[in-house]
Amino acid sequence: MIRVSHLSVFHGAVQALHDVSFEVEAGTVTAVVGANGAGKTTLLRTTSGLVRPRSGSIEFDGQSLVGRRPEDIARLGIAHVPEGRGVIEEFTVQENLRLGALHGKGRFAEGLEDQFALFPALKERRRQHAGTLSGGERQMLAMARALIGYPTVLLLDEPSVGLAPQVTASVLSTVRRLCEERHLTVVLVEQDAMSALRVADRAVVLHVGRVAADDRADVVLADEGLRRYYLGMVS
Amino acid sequence: MDAFLTSRVVTDILEGIVQGVVIGLVALGLVLVWRATRVLNFALGAIATLAAYLGMGLLSYHVGFWWCFVLCIPFGMVLGGATERIVVRPLYGKPELNPIVAMVGLLFLLEAVVGAIWSTTTRAIPVPFSFIHWTLGGRPFALSPLSVFQICAALVLALAIGALFRFTQLGLQLRATAHAPETSRLLGVRVSRMLTLGWMLSCSVGAVAAVIVAAGFATGLTPSEMEAPFAIGFIAAAVGGLDSPVGALVGGVAFGVIEQFVTDYLNANLVLPVALGILILALVLRPQGVFSRPVARRV
Amino acid sequence: MKALASLRTERPLLWRAVATIVLVGIALVVSDQVSALTDYYLADAAAMSIVMVGLSFLTGLSGQVSLGHGAFMGVGAYTAAIWAVHHAHTPIVANLALATVVGALVGLLVGLPATRLRGPYLAGMTIAIAVAFTSIISEFGSWTNGDQGLALPTPVAPPRWLVQYLHSTPKAGRPGNMWLADIAIVTAGIAFFFMANLFRSRTGRAMRLVRENEVAAEIAGVSLPRARVLAFVVAAACAGLGGGLTTMVAGSVAPSSFELGLSIEILTLLVIGGIGTLSGALIGGLLYAYSSSWITSLVNATGLKPTSNLAASLDGIIFGGLLIIFVLLAPLGLVGTARLVVARRLRASRTSEARARPSTTT
Repeated sequence: MIRVSHLSVFHGAVQALHDVSFEVEAGTVTAVVGANGAGKTTLLRTTSGLVRPRSGSIEFDGQSLVGRRPEDIARLGIAHVPEGRGVIEEFTVQENLRLGALHGKGRFAEGLEDQFALFPALKERRRQHAGTLSGGERQMLAMARALIGYPTVLLLDEPSVGLAPQVTASVLSTVRRLCEERHLTVVLVEQDAMSALRVADRAVVLHVGRVAADDRADVVLADEGLRRYYLGMVS
Repeated sequence: MDAFLTSRVVTDILEGIVQGVVIGLVALGLVLVWRATRVLNFALGAIATLAAYLGMGLLSYHVGFWWCFVLCIPFGMVLGGATERIVVRPLYGKPELNPIVAMVGLLFLLEAVVGAIWSTTTRAIPVPFSFIHWTLGGRPFALSPLSVFQICAALVLALAIGALFRFTQLGLQLRATAHAPETSRLLGVRVSRMLTLGWMLSCSVGAVAAVIVAAGFATGLTPSEMEAPFAIGFIAAAVGGLDSPVGALVGGVAFGVIEQFVTDYLNANLVLPVALGILILALVLRPQGVFSRPVARRV
Repeated sequence: MKALASLRTERPLLWRAVATIVLVGIALVVSDQVSALTDYYLADAAAMSIVMVGLSFLTGLSGQVSLGHGAFMGVGAYTAAIWAVHHAHTPIVANLALATVVGALVGLLVGLPATRLRGPYLAGMTIAIAVAFTSIISEFGSWTNGDQGLALPTPVAPPRWLVQYLHSTPKAGRPGNMWLADIAIVTAGIAFFFMANLFRSRTGRAMRLVRENEVAAEIAGVSLPRARVLAFVVAAACAGLGGGLTTMVAGSVAPSSFELGLSIEILTLLVIGGIGTLSGALIGGLLYAYSSSWITSLVNATGLKPTSNLAASLDGIIFGGLLIIFVLLAPLGLVGTARLVVARRLRASRTSEARARPSTTT
């Protein structure tokens, strides 16, 4: 479904990604793990169009994504929940969701019910300004906002940041469930690699901008040699 | 009651409100552009004046006053959109000095263009409202049909814009673009179109303000009619906080009232200096404006 | 040539002093030879370039926008005029000094709140000042004679030593005021010498740091507010001096000379010359002095009726249009863009030289 080929991305003079290639199958969860600065977020941002690569390609269902504007990529059905969630604080919960539904599929009313069923806490707070929500609630809002348009692909950047372990576990298991129930394709970038690997089908391990491993998640999890790349114990 | 309504203070307040709605519209126009594109549209007054001249110019083709008035709005939108695409867009990402200077240049250019095409002599416009003040109990009252028209026109426009922003999908996207452009793009919002739209709305608001100014105070259209309203409108927006449309409108009306009191009790020449003084005071006390929320500087 | 080059790098102050004296000397000689009208233009150009070098410093180095420089000029102009009217026999140098000092004070008044303001807010405030200036002049009509302006008691007394100098030059038989051109040129020379040193000094570099990277400046210990206020004081002092000079040259002041349009013209010509440079200010000054005559020639050349609407608004169209074009295409101005081109060529030739040289390491 998503094919990344020989992707090289620069931030100014610094190269963030070197010749990165891997594939994501439809309806699977692919975890992208690695130490800080490995290039995980850059990878997602390049996929959603916020960053232009120097060379290489990203194909979605045969269509090339490179060179397209982020808003066009979003309208193709690729939803990116950015690092920090990007919840619009000045909007209410409902307004955030409305915005998410504008350019997606399906009708707002139905999508809203759907998301409230998934995340009941949001329903209670629908008229509250998003700025008043807790970290966990914001994560739910950001995800609901991404999902309300019934996307084909979900790009999740570090959902566990600032969340207690139980909340993280709940978020990740929800992601797993969505993938299985709705055939959603998920690319999950996570600092908390162990949790991510447990819910994923495949794993891509990034190290200083290069692919160190690309295999089934359970294989990567069991491989002690790879652990040093994502448990932050390497130079 | 009559004596109260025709008293000096009430008269000043009412006349101040009439002045103030224009200033509020100018301030609103500035805020609309600032929120979206972080550029201060110094040429707003000049663009608005040109749009007003174009609209009212149709009078000579036997178009009725009301049609001319309404047509000023699309003229404003076209000019605003063109300005954003041609002059402002190439300057995104450049040092913040550049768009400021470019806008000032545009201000100068457009005022001169208006003078070149229509001359600098005042052109009366046939507003179908009498400017003769009503009387209450034999004493002159602050308002006339004309001034009521001015207030109503401004009010209707402000409410329309407010409704657009609050109740429509387009308004939601405009607000989202202003608050969080990157996130909005990730949600499929065509941010660059929203930016252009912001400019179009801003300049059409200005156009209406320009017509109101011409109808009321300047007794006609003149190329430089928006210079002083712009200066005070900017001050009102700055004091209210450039991020707040409500602050802009309220600030504008407040400044109109202050302006009227200064003119009545002191001297018309002191209006701008007093406004400047208020600006300096407000910015020293609360640099981000009275209505906006403080933004911490991230290091 | 090498001696000169080493003088420039090792004794910069001396170099600048020598350069200034030479340039001023040349200018004086030129002004002696030309007609009275050209002398008038030169004086005007000199006065205006002083104003512009101050603005160049303010906007170019410290990054603060001032759209109200016409008002600062007006302050200096009116100070000089009012003083001359009430104290007719003050030597001209004292008059100019007073204009400079008052300008500096006003700069302080404006600069203090200005430190709190970011770009657009500051620009808006200075526009408001520019628009308010004429109102203030009208308000203090008892001093300023309101809309009608003031005429200087002619002629303001020239210094005796200058009169003696002039007796020995071709100017001796000419209309009295052309010695003003000499005064203007010398004043400009002094002002530019001062500013050149300021541009290159530690203060100047601190300013640039404030403009480009506030956080770095703070870390380096530069006091942000103080640097900004200083920039305003200097710029306003220059403007005051220039304003005083124009009053002397013109022999009168009126509020209509100091409307918003003047501030915009100053900015436009400085942008064309090159913000942040000294030579740009000089070019700007010359452009200003000749602009109205060029525009008149343009009107005549294109057969426009001088009284038509278009002719009357032509300066606005040209200045406004030029400003936009330059900001979009050549924001560094003539001088800045030229320097950029030269610097790029130098870099390109050095790189190709380096490539051509056989490498000594493998």
